[in-house]
Amino acid sequence: MHTYFKKHLFLYIFLLAATGVYSQQMEGTVRYLIVHDWTKKMLAVDYISKQRLERIAYMWGNDSEWKQYANLYFSPTRTKYEDSDEQADADDQGYAWRKDAYTIQRDFETNTLHDVIQMLGKVYLVDDTLAAPDWKIMNDMKEVAGHVCMNAFRDDTLKKQKINVWFALDIPVPSGPERFGGLPGLILEVDVNDGGMLITADKIELKKLTTELDPPKKAKGKKVNEAAYEDVIRKHMLEKRKAEEPPFWGIRY
Amino acid sequence: MPAYFNNPDCMKKSSLLPLLLLLLASHLLSAQNPTKTTIKGLVTDTLGVELPFATVMLLNPKDTTLVNFTRSDEKGAFSFKNVRNAPYLLKISYIGYLPLQQYLNPAAEETADLGTVKMKPISTELMEVVIRTAKAPLRIHGDTIEYDASTFKVPPGSTVEDLLRRLPGIEVDADGNIRAQGKDVKRVYVDGKMFFSDDPKSATKNLGAETISKVQVYDEKSEQAKLTGVDDGKKEKAMNLEMKEEFKKGSFGKITAAVGSSDRWAARGNYNRFNTKQQLSFIGFGNNINQTGVNWEDYGEFKGQSTSGNYDNGDFGFNSNGDRYYRTGSDDGVINNFDGRGFTKNFGGGSNFNYDNKKAKFNLSYFYNQTDLQLDQFGYRQTFLPEGNFSNSDTTSQQEFRGNHSIGTRFEKDLDSNNVLIVKANARLSKNNKGYRQSQLFFDDSAEPTNRLGLDNDNDLDAWNLNSAAIFRHRFKKKGRSLALSAGYNGNQSDGIENSISINRFFEAQTFTQQIRLLNTNNNLTNQLKSSALFTEPLSKKWYWETFLNYSQVHNQVDRQATNPLFNNDRVDSLSIFYNQDTRYQRAGTSLRYSYKGLNATTGLAMQQINLAGDYARQEGRPLLTNPVDRTFNNLVPNADVSYEFANNLNLNFNYGYGITAPNLNDLQPVPNINNPAFRIEGNPNLSPERQHSLSFNVNKWNPANFSYFGVGTQYQLYDSQIVYNQTIEQIDSIGIRTTTRPDNVSGGNSFNLYSWFNFPIIKTKLTMNGGPNASFGQTPAFVNGVLNETRSNGYGGNIGLNLTPGQKLIMGLSGDLNFNDLKYSIQKEQNQRIQNHTASASIKWQFADKFFLESNFNYSFYRNDRFGFNRAVPLWNASVRRLLGKSNRLEMRLAAFDLLNRQVNISQTGTQNYVTRVISNTLSQYFMLSVSYNVRGYENKVNKNNWW
Repeated sequence: MHTYFKKHLFLYIFLLAATGVYSQQMEGTVRYLIVHDWTKKMLAVDYISKQRLERIAYMWGNDSEWKQYANLYFSPTRTKYEDSDEQADADDQGYAWRKDAYTIQRDFETNTLHDVIQMLGKVYLVDDTLAAPDWKIMNDMKEVAGHVCMNAFRDDTLKKQKINVWFALDIPVPSGPERFGGLPGLILEVDVNDGGMLITADKIELKKLTTELDPPKKAKGKKVNEAAYEDVIRKHMLEKRKAEEPPFWGIRY
Repeated sequence: MPAYFNNPDCMKKSSLLPLLLLLLASHLLSAQNPTKTTIKGLVTDTLGVELPFATVMLLNPKDTTLVNFTRSDEKGAFSFKNVRNAPYLLKISYIGYLPLQQYLNPAAEETADLGTVKMKPISTELMEVVIRTAKAPLRIHGDTIEYDASTFKVPPGSTVEDLLRRLPGIEVDADGNIRAQGKDVKRVYVDGKMFFSDDPKSATKNLGAETISKVQVYDEKSEQAKLTGVDDGKKEKAMNLEMKEEFKKGSFGKITAAVGSSDRWAARGNYNRFNTKQQLSFIGFGNNINQTGVNWEDYGEFKGQSTSGNYDNGDFGFNSNGDRYYRTGSDDGVINNFDGRGFTKNFGGGSNFNYDNKKAKFNLSYFYNQTDLQLDQFGYRQTFLPEGNFSNSDTTSQQEFRGNHSIGTRFEKDLDSNNVLIVKANARLSKNNKGYRQSQLFFDDSAEPTNRLGLDNDNDLDAWNLNSAAIFRHRFKKKGRSLALSAGYNGNQSDGIENSISINRFFEAQTFTQQIRLLNTNNNLTNQLKSSALFTEPLSKKWYWETFLNYSQVHNQVDRQATNPLFNNDRVDSLSIFYNQDTRYQRAGTSLRYSYKGLNATTGLAMQQINLAGDYARQEGRPLLTNPVDRTFNNLVPNADVSYEFANNLNLNFNYGYGITAPNLNDLQPVPNINNPAFRIEGNPNLSPERQHSLSFNVNKWNPANFSYFGVGTQYQLYDSQIVYNQTIEQIDSIGIRTTTRPDNVSGGNSFNLYSWFNFPIIKTKLTMNGGPNASFGQTPAFVNGVLNETRSNGYGGNIGLNLTPGQKLIMGLSGDLNFNDLKYSIQKEQNQRIQNHTASASIKWQFADKFFLESNFNYSFYRNDRFGFNRAVPLWNASVRRLLGKSNRLEMRLAAFDLLNRQVNISQTGTQNYVTRVISNTLSQYFMLSVSYNVRGYENKVNKNNWW
């Protein structure tokens, strides 16, 4: 009886609270768990022969996950996303990697993005206006971290990625983890290339933010717009294709 | 007529539909629609209650791409201002209500008011079903339509064909031909692979519906386009049946048979079966071409998920090199480990089983391998004494049989999210028979031959060996606090017989001959018990405190009894020994670690005690030779380790450790080994442990943009106490020149190594250069006839290589390897010398026609030592041509030539302590071989650029 109640609880809460939530300003933090599965990433690389991919999956398929946490701070008008200092994998306790510079900022009032992205050995400061990604809206719905989500899909031709996301109907912030966004609700789950990278919101706190949304310390780097940033990736993808090496080392995902 | 009409489905029901459509079309065509429009409406439930903050989306009706979105206001009203006037799919969703979809046509006026849009509520139970199951019967991803098979119910025992008949948009005719969206389905795949035959019906008629999780229908390039690589724009319907996880099965395997000139042959095969949880494999091989095992690739396919070995060594706490973990290597004899000398005939075979269900992992493997070695070699050794020197040239013929059964198992289970248990055991049963005939010719200082020593030794050894360990790890509720416990047992028993005959013939004034015969039986037993504990406590987010305990107890029993077959097998008391020896090792230590943003630093201190105890008698039950030995060594052992990652992929690592190693058993044995009377090996029961400072420093930098990297590493070791082998060289009338080595502790030995590596592209993706210089400086003190000799060994060298990939079908490589070794002897400066070993190589891989490959490599090795006027070059040229056959490239024919120049021979030159040696061994030279291979998965019809994964 107890579990039955628990199972239905979130629905009641949202049915009752839906209106209430919107009447106040939505602010808070989402902690995302990112799981990289290197075997599944490899399986999506179309220029590596089938024989090799099968061998990789046979030898390493069960033991190729890497986990990390990241935080998204959101308000109705702005979001900021960066890696967390928290260790996601209990076995990693006691060893701290250096993190690449990575801050993703969105401002929906000015319709702009301000990103600091370290990739391929360089720091890029990406500044541009927000463009609408070509999301396809799907019929499925499911619950992620206690929020009812709708499904959307997009084919990223730049990085050759199939991106499947779930966005919350009750958090009307058009943002999400990493550089994903542009949907009517906050993205709470992202699946890139069938499990190659799986991002799931595992903790959502609605609270008044103080300084969390402030821009990071002034980062040094190369100033580029979105098109120039994409060109760097495009060139990299082409080079790796020629070298028959996997493209995901040196870039974020 | 309204500019917008509701869902056209409703209108289809009307018999007036064609007329209406016609009217509409003419209306739309005649009217000048505005380019921009404003769409507005009001969202209410079926009772007319306004729904505030509903998500309202405008989608492209063709592919449901999101065009615009908004939210309804407090009153349920929404509007899209100034959007392009085009057909849309309006989608509204509101929690607790069925999502609403409505097609919109372009508007005739500047504002299109949709009026009230009513949403149907759903019961919470239904909502639960909608969301919890998240099972829409079909989804569209790009041009793929995916059906969720579990939402279409078919009776048990149905085939996939029966399932397909129920899927909307798919038709199956009486013959089983499939049409999807009105087009013939040309191909059916199962999990992306062809199902045995090209006939699409073979899969759908034979597979059971219950094995399928998804059915995907998509457009695929035509067969023509696939073959030519030119996209002719023609698309054909294809279907993929995705199997449920538990039904996913696979198998692969390959087999090779080869025959060659000079009676050379080889055969090899492997077969694997697997599903998502289990992997079962078999492997077997036999050959007389010096492959004692298989290559790394075949090894990986044999071991599957257990290839990577495991980091679960149970010896916690810092060791002398400061590593947190070290990998327990697999020593099961599956991988080829031929050392380049002699001729071998090899057989091997085994099986491996892996099970992994994410919570528990299990591995069991068995392998047997055997090698017959036939080796002939010629060696020359010159030894320097405080006064004068002597040399010996040795002609050796050796026959050896090695056979090993090895069985290994490992079990890992997550008892719950905080407790892990690992149990592992490896057992090995081995047999070794060795026959060793040697003729040693000794020369005095003036290069005059003095005597010839003939040796004839036969050894038989049977041994078993067991290593086992159990490790338990517990994580406490407090993040970062953990406890690890381990216990292990290692055992080893060997029984051996050594039969040695030596005949010594002297060339002095009166030539005479001396014969010695010995028959030794050796029965050795080793038992080790050990246990460790490690507790980690996080002091803060950045500081950790570790405490560890290590305990180990080793018991050795050695029974060596010598008899003399020349004298009625009488026991030779002076060469017999029976002893028990115990080594107890205890350590307690603590360390403090700082770990934050790329800086990881640990410093620690341990108290360590080694106790060596032993009693020695000539024979079991006889009085002790000496008082029992019981010595204890206490040491404080410091350790420090710092690693830092800079922002730009630059890493630094520094480590300091103080290592203490107990002497090994052979060195402690208080009885000489005189199987070769001219080289007498003595033990020393009074040896102390080795103690050394070790320092290492590494830098490496990686540039991910062009995949270039460089690194430098250094290591320095300074011995407080080093076990070295002192020599006493004397003229014994009955033996000639006799060298007696005896281990002892000295201090002051040191070594310094510097190595580096680099790799960078000269032309991106086409030409890369790699290499790295290295240097080593070492000083080893040892006594020769009571005089301290310090041997300095300075090595310089490095390698450099070029990799050229002009196109997809050709890869070439050039490389060179230089190696100089300067030896300096403090007792005889005039013997200082330089040993040189250099190699130059070239290789090519070329796909010269479709399915045709040429592979060749050429090595030129060069050996030189000017002191002895030694100068020798060995060229080795191998080449092969292979052809793939069959539609899926499953068959491979290969013609290979090994050592085309027929010059192969194995040479090694080394110098240490007070001697230099040079050994030339015969080994397999020129042969030609034709092989046929069949691979179920097919061979890759391309030249591989990268072999590192």
